[in-house]
Amino acid sequence: MHEEALLKDIRRKLVEESTRASPAQVARVRLWIGALSHLSEDQLRLQWPTVVDGTPAQSARLDVTTSRDTTDPRAQGLVLMSIDVVEPGRSSGRVALRP
Amino acid sequence: MTERTIAVDYLARVEGEGSLRVRVSEGRVDDVQLQIFEPPRFFEAFLRGRMYTEAPDITARICGICPVAYQMSSVHAMEQILGLRVGGQLRALRRLLYCGEWIESHALHVYLLHVPDFLGYPDAVQLAKDDPATVRRGLALKKAGNALMSLLGGREIHPINVRVGGFYRVPGREELEQIRPTLESALDIAEETVHFAAGLPFPEADEDYEFVALQHPDEYAMNEGEIVSNRGLRIPVARYDEEFEKAPVGYTHALQSVRKGGTPYLLGAMARYSLNGRQLTPRAREVAAAVGLEPVIRNPFRSIVVRAVEMVFACEEALRIIDQYEAPTEPYVAAPAEIPAGIGAAATEAPRGLLFHRYRLAPGGQIESAEIVAPTAQNQKRIEEDVRHVVERSLALDDTALTGLCERAIRNHDPCISCATHFLRLEMERT
Repeated sequence: MHEEALLKDIRRKLVEESTRASPAQVARVRLWIGALSHLSEDQLRLQWPTVVDGTPAQSARLDVTTSRDTTDPRAQGLVLMSIDVVEPGRSSGRVALRP
Repeated sequence: MTERTIAVDYLARVEGEGSLRVRVSEGRVDDVQLQIFEPPRFFEAFLRGRMYTEAPDITARICGICPVAYQMSSVHAMEQILGLRVGGQLRALRRLLYCGEWIESHALHVYLLHVPDFLGYPDAVQLAKDDPATVRRGLALKKAGNALMSLLGGREIHPINVRVGGFYRVPGREELEQIRPTLESALDIAEETVHFAAGLPFPEADEDYEFVALQHPDEYAMNEGEIVSNRGLRIPVARYDEEFEKAPVGYTHALQSVRKGGTPYLLGAMARYSLNGRQLTPRAREVAAAVGLEPVIRNPFRSIVVRAVEMVFACEEALRIIDQYEAPTEPYVAAPAEIPAGIGAAATEAPRGLLFHRYRLAPGGQIESAEIVAPTAQNQKRIEEDVRHVVERSLALDDTALTGLCERAIRNHDPCISCATHFLRLEMERT
């Protein structure tokens, strides 16, 4: 029942990251669902369009990986793994940000 | 145009399901909106088509802190339709189970959510580093409440032993006797808690509440009674809809309840204490008097003292019930062979206040419709009023300090959303 709040937190973070350097559209979002999170991919996909509507991620492809590893330290969580952003006039490259 | 991947590796957090929006214009509070984001959970819809026997187990899942309240309101409503009379020791056992829930719920709120506010700690974990004894008192009380829940309900959270007509299994006298030392110790700790809570520093506040609670002629009401208020209301539960209404408001997912005519009202410990305080058990009355607790409390920050008094009551009442207990010959009153169609309405006193249920059954016992009005939804409008007054009194504070005070004003009423301790995102608009 917390999926909407979790996704809103994800939205806040991805908007923050996508606009950190320059305004950009998000092409792809990768989420990781922990084995003990009580979340499911279906739940997230159901709410996703509503949550990202009006953000740079509203047209983004959503990739979801569901973990079965109950020993992962993040097993109870939902992780925003990465986002692919499309930026006009910038060279390509991988930028690792660790909040 | 280029595409790049930003590896974020960010673990999402639930910051809670609520936020508070306050608009201040020229030194005056124009608007206060307590927004509850938690999506609708559709329990009333889940119940349609299910058998009446399933209601206590399905509705218990609405809340992990007060599942007994949902079970009790549902079984009373069903028993009304079935014409069942549950009295004697079965009634006493229900009250005993409710005592367990009040103890564990109040202990959780008082010690783990509310006390850190008064002592300047962000949460009970930080408090425990400096003052482990205080937190241990809370945990001991919670453990005592949980022990009662386990013994009578089969487990601490979402009990499974409650059924329409009584219980699936009732304990023997010796089983209840085994829990006596735990409850005697809890009673002492609860009394200590009253003294401790009364000594906390309270912000000034004096709210003109309409208190609403159940009232019973013979006891501090938990399971049965009329709905009364300090403004002259006195109605049987079945007439709830004539006096109260609930409606969606645009900014929150929770339905907001008001008295017919639009005025807010307050449920919960402060309402019960103010309306029924004379019916508290002797030690609860004595300790309330010893700390100078007036018969009516209008400062919501002092609700922590009232909850502590109710913990004394619940421990004392539990011991009284155990003293007088004799195992009933049957664990439940059997339903009639043919289940009639009908409508049943019941309200009981959840730790946070009056919890109303209404069901319509088809012949044979299938649920045709269900209506559940939770205490937090009923208190929401009144909480907004509290926050409005807090902001009006404290406009000189910066947004950070004001946010803290608003959180406290909300937490005073132990809303279910408070399970996320730092749930509040304050949007302050000052013009």
